[in-house]
Amino acid sequence: MKKVTGLFLVLVVAGFVMISGCTQTSSDTGSGTNATGTEEINFGYQPSTHQLAYMTAMSKGWWEQNLASYGYSIDSSKNEYQFPTGAPEMQAMLGGDIDVAYVGAAPVLSAISTGLDAKIVGAVQTQGSAIVVRPDINYTGPESLVGKTIATFPEGTIQDTLLREWFADNGIDADNDVDIRPMGPGDAITAITAGQVDAVFLPAPSPTIIQNDGSGKIVEWSGNMSPNHPCCVLVVSGKLIRDNPDAVTEIVKTHIQATEYNKKHLDEAAGIYANYTKNTKEVAEQSFENWDGNWVSDPNLIVDGVMSYVKTQNELGYITKNLTKDDIFDLSFYEKATSSA
Amino acid sequence: MAAKNTENRNKILYPVTSIIVFILVWQIIAEFLVGNPFLLPSFTDTVSAFLNMVFGTKGTLLNDLGYSLLHFFIGMFFALAVGIPVGIAMGWFKNVNRALNPVIELIRPIPPLAWIPFAIIWFGLTNAAAGFIIFIGAVFPIIINTYTGFKGVPKVFIEAGKVLGCTSNLNLIRHIAFPSAVPSIISGIRISMGVGWMCLVGAEIFGAGSGKYGLGKNLWTYYNLHQMPSVVVYMVILGFIGIVIDQLFRYYVNTQMLKWQEDL
Repeated sequence: MKKVTGLFLVLVVAGFVMISGCTQTSSDTGSGTNATGTEEINFGYQPSTHQLAYMTAMSKGWWEQNLASYGYSIDSSKNEYQFPTGAPEMQAMLGGDIDVAYVGAAPVLSAISTGLDAKIVGAVQTQGSAIVVRPDINYTGPESLVGKTIATFPEGTIQDTLLREWFADNGIDADNDVDIRPMGPGDAITAITAGQVDAVFLPAPSPTIIQNDGSGKIVEWSGNMSPNHPCCVLVVSGKLIRDNPDAVTEIVKTHIQATEYNKKHLDEAAGIYANYTKNTKEVAEQSFENWDGNWVSDPNLIVDGVMSYVKTQNELGYITKNLTKDDIFDLSFYEKATSSA
Repeated sequence: MAAKNTENRNKILYPVTSIIVFILVWQIIAEFLVGNPFLLPSFTDTVSAFLNMVFGTKGTLLNDLGYSLLHFFIGMFFALAVGIPVGIAMGWFKNVNRALNPVIELIRPIPPLAWIPFAIIWFGLTNAAAGFIIFIGAVFPIIINTYTGFKGVPKVFIEAGKVLGCTSNLNLIRHIAFPSAVPSIISGIRISMGVGWMCLVGAEIFGAGSGKYGLGKNLWTYYNLHQMPSVVVYMVILGFIGIVIDQLFRYYVNTQMLKWQEDL
């Protein structure tokens, strides 16, 4: 019996040693040098059709291929991190675990106001979120949502900021006239499917998923709420910008390449999205057909919109610093990427 | 007399000194070694955030406390109402144990957070949904300890009870087994209160309750906004309230239910 116990303990200790050995990669502390002597760049993203450019570039090996000449290696099994919403993604970037992030512009603002050393170097997409109401609700405009419970992403995200801004623009007090419940996409879909909330405001493809299930109907795309509003952006850490600005220009170039590719190859893009997530290709295709989003890469298109979020977030008390354009953006990489193209 | 005075003085001196040293070390490390309030907010950053939450226009601390206690008491009430009878039945009746044990052992390892989808579906975004997550965390330690307490009742007590005319199961449970199992049941309740309180953040992050208030809910709000001094305030308050609940329970139990132990 003692031998069996001893053997068990030896196996447990050996297991811990092996596990701890396996987890001691350079990616544990953000970018760093790996065993082959090349540097690694860690990417953060969310599984939304908004950020398809990231997925396409990774699926096609463009990140690895285009950045290899700058001394970087990128492996999807080690260097990519998926997040449910922008807030934890920015938290990871603040902690130094992420070097490049595809993320909503709003969480970037609260992160920069609390000391994130990073800049927006590219736009990823505009519009593309929707209000979905339960099938039995007769929606005629924002006033139809008064007294209703609406699930959306947590405070500080694009959806929360945009929804509150939209209600304020329509004379509705977001704190008292409606009941906004912050939650992740899975919880919000569950809540409307179970009839526990009256509406949700979520990024694509969640509105399409809910509508396909018959649990709700899309009544307002975010482009109607705020035309051409910025949504996801490409953010690069200050360290990477200072250490290897040429590589950052290459990152922007790769992003432009993937963005343009997706626009021209929607069918393949839907397949890439389906492979990257647990959604089907059909859902991705339907989402591409019915959404109002636009994949873009030029950050100049979103500067005014992002500065408007700064104002809204200040009013909401989410940020206390009055961030300037230069605090948030570095437009030079896009200029270099497009001028040498 | 002098020895007793010294003992009384030490009872206060040591904890107070330890807390003061802890605060000083915290402040020095945060201010001079780390130097980044995101990575480690200093004590003064945290105090400033606390004052802002209590006296600032956007502070919701008192409402948060009220809602969190409501969620906790809903969860604990049902954990006690379900856990103690189930534990008693399993500990006293072999066939009940045979029937329930596999089911309980199957459900027990499921983390409380995994129940969030069903909390939303079954209870909606209500206080009961948050209470349900706390219930899931709290009920199993009560069942296990009550069961263990009943299994450990000395046979001689039961035989003595029977000899003295206590023959029915109900009477034996009420007059013999339950009093004997009380210490074990109480330690189960203490464990479950700790686990239940620890489940509070998870119970409030999915929009349950008011959707606006709750210590866990707003700890998560400040986390989403990267305002780490405020996160620390909520963490400290969660820890502090946890201690207060435990101390109040221990005081009540020691003075009301386990007073007989002092005479042993």
